[in-house]
This record gives sequence, C-alpha cells and structure tokens, in this order.
Amino acid sequence: MVSMAMPPMFAAFKYSDSLRVVGISICTAIVCEAISWVLIYRTNSYKSLRSSIDKAAKKLETMKTDTAKITKKSKTKKIDRVETSLKESSRDLSLFKFKSGAVVALVLFVVFGLLNSLFEGKAVAKLPFKPFGLLVKMSHRGLQGDDSTDCSMAFLYFLCSISIRTNLQKFLGFSPPRGASAGLFPMPDPKTN
Amino acid sequence: MKEGKSAKLNGIQQHQNGHLSPFKFAKLLDPEASWDKDQLGDVLHWIRQAMALVCGLLWGAIPLVGGIWFFIFLVISSGVIYGYYAMILKVDEEEFGGHGALLQEGLFASITLFLLSVCGK
Repeated sequence: MVSMAMPPMFAAFKYSDSLRVVGISICTAIVCEAISWVLIYRTNSYKSLRSSIDKAAKKLETMKTDTAKITKKSKTKKIDRVETSLKESSRDLSLFKFKSGAVVALVLFVVFGLLNSLFEGKAVAKLPFKPFGLLVKMSHRGLQGDDSTDCSMAFLYFLCSISIRTNLQKFLGFSPPRGASAGLFPMPDPKTN
Repeated sequence: MKEGKSAKLNGIQQHQNGHLSPFKFAKLLDPEASWDKDQLGDVLHWIRQAMALVCGLLWGAIPLVGGIWFFIFLVISSGVIYGYYAMILKVDEEEFGGHGALLQEGLFASITLFLLSVCGK
C-alpha cells in the first residue's frame, strides 16, 4: 500500500521545478496585468485610442469592401485618409503603452533574476525532441552536459510568459486591437512617395 | 440585398460601454450564424489553445518523442481550425482577411502552450 502511494509522490517531486516555474509565471502574469490595468487600461487616453482604432478599422473594412465593386478616385483618397488616421492612432497607442510598460518590464526583469538565482545550472524540464540552432542556445542556456533535450529555466520561463500572458490578456479583454498594426515604427506608405 | 454569413459591420452587435452582446454557445455550431471578425478570431484562438493543451499533455504523458510530433500537432490543429470555419461554420474567409488571417489566430500562443504542456522531466 505504501509502495502504491509512492509513485504519485515521486511524480509530483519530479515535476516540482517546472511546476514552480509555471506557478511563478502565472503569478507574475497576473501582477503584470494588474499593473498594466492601473497604468494603462483604465485610463481615458487608452480607452479613447482603442475606440478610435476599432472604429477606423471597421470603417476601413467597409470602405474597402464597397470599393471592390465601385472604383472612384475620391473613395481611394478617403480610404487613404482613414488608413493614415488608423496608423497614427496605432502609433499613439504603442507609444502610450511603451511608456507605462517600463514598469512591467522591471517586474519581469526582477522575477527573471529571482528564478535565475533559484534554478541556475539546473535542468527544470525535458524537451521531447532535440532542438537545433538558436533554439538549443536558449533551451540549454547555463546548463552543463551535452544532452540538448535538457530544458533550462530561461526557456521554460519564455514559454510560460508568452502562452500565459497572451491568454490572460485575451481572457481579460486586454489584447491589442486587431486594427492596430502600425506599432512605434510604421512602414512608410508607398502611395505618398 | 443578400445577407450572407459575412461580418456584419453595420451594427447588429450591440456595443454598450465597449462590451459586445452576450455570446451564445449555440452559435458555435450554427452555419447560419453571422460572425463579427473579433468574435470569430477569439473562438479560433481558444480552440487552438485547447488543442495545444490537450495534445501537449497527451503526448507528454505517452510520451511521443521527436520533432515530427511537433509538426504533426501543427498540421492537426490547423486542420481542425480550417475544418471548423470552412465546413462547420461555412464562413466566407475573404470577409475575414483570407485563410492566412484565420489560420494564424492564436498560432504562436498555441505553439508555446503546446511546448509548455509537452515538456516532461
């Protein structure tokens, strides 16, 4: 009876490092989104920028659908104006989020440093395949030995950050608007050259 | 004017304080339902995440070793997404930005979630 109870305990022990990394990542993601909500999402600037991007994107889509049937020079000019307005709003949104995002970046940096000190040189998980190229440099960072399937904390934390934060943002409704594609450095419009 | 299953941009969705109208789960299997671009994108995103989690945990538990299984996961999840929007919902992909736009919804997040779920020790 004792031997039957041991395997589940060993399994939990086996996964304890990776579960700790995942658990810390989940807590970090929640804290980062809370900070983002305080500094970014609840502000009137963000709400108005988001609203204008959504409206411009929808208007642009409607105009492009109509223009497919009827080609008019004035329509093309209107589309250009809406596109320019959309790009400017997207750029303003990116800039706004960038300034407040410095605090979130600091939190992520501190947590990464903490995890690094806890798991330095230790393989926290095993990959089911041998990675190659740049991937092995990241997954095997700081680890001894030649077994490239050993996974370092840095890579696991990277996977956690992307998957958990993206889905948390999506769930809470904080993901970037689909119309916002310009970013901080928008590509020049070929039509204006 | 013929009303297809295209994204209705003229305001059938009621926006109140920036929130969309309540989502009805019956809509998920209804080929006659009309879809907003954002709603369809969200549904496809969550389907991909669910598949990544299930496939990752299952293949990690067996375990299925080798890079080929990662590509098999990509093919299966993309196939399910395509089958869902093209055959079950029967949406016109041109109204939503084409096959590329629909297939890439939640793709990167699902890849990282799959890798996270499949890692063992």
